[in-house]
Amino acid sequence: MDFDFAVITDHWRFLASGVGITLLLSVVSGLTSLVAGLVVALLRLYGPRPLRVAVVLYIDSMRAIPVLVVLVWSFFALPILTGLTMPPFVAALVGLTVHLAAYAAEIVRAGVESVRPGQTRAALALGMSRAQIVRRIILPQAIVRMLPAFGSLLSITIKDTAIASVIAVPELMRQSETLAGQSFQPIEVYTFAMLVYFFILFPVTRGVDIFYQRVAHLGRS
Amino acid sequence: MSFDWSVVWQHRDALIAGTATTILLTVATMAIAVPCGIIVAILRLYGWAPVRALATAYVEFFRNLPLILVVFWAFYVPPILTGLGLSPLATGLAALALNVTAYNAETFRAGINSIRRGQVEAAMVLGMNRVQALRRVVVPQAVRRILPVLASTWVSLFKDTSLVSVIAVTELAYVSMQIRAQSFRVLEMLTAMAAIYWLLGYPQAKLVDWIQRRFAITE
Repeated sequence: MDFDFAVITDHWRFLASGVGITLLLSVVSGLTSLVAGLVVALLRLYGPRPLRVAVVLYIDSMRAIPVLVVLVWSFFALPILTGLTMPPFVAALVGLTVHLAAYAAEIVRAGVESVRPGQTRAALALGMSRAQIVRRIILPQAIVRMLPAFGSLLSITIKDTAIASVIAVPELMRQSETLAGQSFQPIEVYTFAMLVYFFILFPVTRGVDIFYQRVAHLGRS
Repeated sequence: MSFDWSVVWQHRDALIAGTATTILLTVATMAIAVPCGIIVAILRLYGWAPVRALATAYVEFFRNLPLILVVFWAFYVPPILTGLGLSPLATGLAALALNVTAYNAETFRAGINSIRRGQVEAAMVLGMNRVQALRRVVVPQAVRRILPVLASTWVSLFKDTSLVSVIAVTELAYVSMQIRAQSFRVLEMLTAMAAIYWLLGYPQAKLVDWIQRRFAITE
C-alpha cells in the first residue's frame, strides 16, 4: 500500500481556503448564537408568561431535532417558504444559529439560576432595580460559571460546521470530500482532515479549561 | 405556492422503515458503547501506564473530531486498507460506536473520579479490598451521577444517527431526502422529516430533564 501525500501539498490552497471558511463560520455562528442565546435566556427567565412558554418549546424542539435537519431545512425549504434564496454560507449561519442559540440559552439560564436567590433578595433590600441586580450581581458571577459550558459549546460549534458540508458550504469537510473524490486518494485526504480538525479543536478545549481554572475563583460566592 | 402533503402519506412505508433504522442504530450503538466505554474508562483509571496513555489518546482524539468526518473516514479508508467492505449500515454503526464510546468513557471516568478518595480510604480501613471498595462504595454512588449524563448522550446520539445518511445508510434522514429528490416535494418532505425527528426526540429530551431532576446531587 503506497501513500502519496503530495495530493495534500499540491492542493494546499484549496484545503487552506476550507480551513478559513471553517474558522470563519465557527467564529461568526459562535457569536450570533451567543447573542441570540442570551436574548432567549433572558426572555425565558424574565419574559411575560406566554412568551416564556413559546421560548421553552423552541429550546426543547432544538434539543430534539438533529442539526443536519435544521441545516438542510434552512437551505432547501426556507427559500420555498419565504421566496428568499440564501447562499450556502448564510443558510448555514442561520441554521447553526437557530440550533445553537437554544443550547447557549440553556447554559445562560443554568448559570443565572446557580446564583442563590438570597443574593437577589439582599440586592432588592439595598434598593437595586431588577435590571441593576441582573447586571451587577447575577451576571458577573454567572458568566464565570458559564465558561466551561460555553467552551464545550464552542467545540460543538466547530464540529457542527463540518455538517454544513451537506449544503455545499466550501469549508474543510466539503473541500476534503471534493479533493478525495477527484484525486481518488481518500485515505490521505480524510486522514489529513482529521489531523487538522484535531489540531483546531484540541487547543480550543484545553485553552478554555486552563482559562477557566484561572478565573474560577471569580465565580464563587 | 401550493403544497401537496399527500406525498408524505404515499411514502409512509419507506419513512417507517427509515425511522426503524434510526432507532435500531441508536439502540445498537449504545449497546456497544456502554460496555466498551466502561472498559476504556477502567483502562484509563487503573491500567498499565502505556495502556492508560493509549486509552486517553483515543478518548481525546475522538472527542475532538467532527462525527461526520469519522463517518466518511470509516466508509472510505478501512476497505482500501484491509480489502474488506462492510455494508453502509455496519460502517455507520462502527463510526457511531467509536465516537460514543469515547464520550461514555469520559463520563464513566468522571463519575468514578467524582467520588472523593476519602471514601475508598475509609472503606479500606474497614477491611474491604480495592475491588470491594469499588463495587460496594464507589460504583453505587457514581451510577447516580453517570445516569443523567448517559441520558443526554443518548439524545445526542439519536440526533447524530442522521449523519450516517451521508454514506447512504437508509435511516430517516436519508430516506426523506431520497423521496424529496424523487418527488420534488422539497418543503413537504423536509418538514415531515423534521416533524418525525421532533415527535421522537421531544419526549426523549423531556425524559432527560426528568432524570436530571430525579438524580440531582445535593451535597
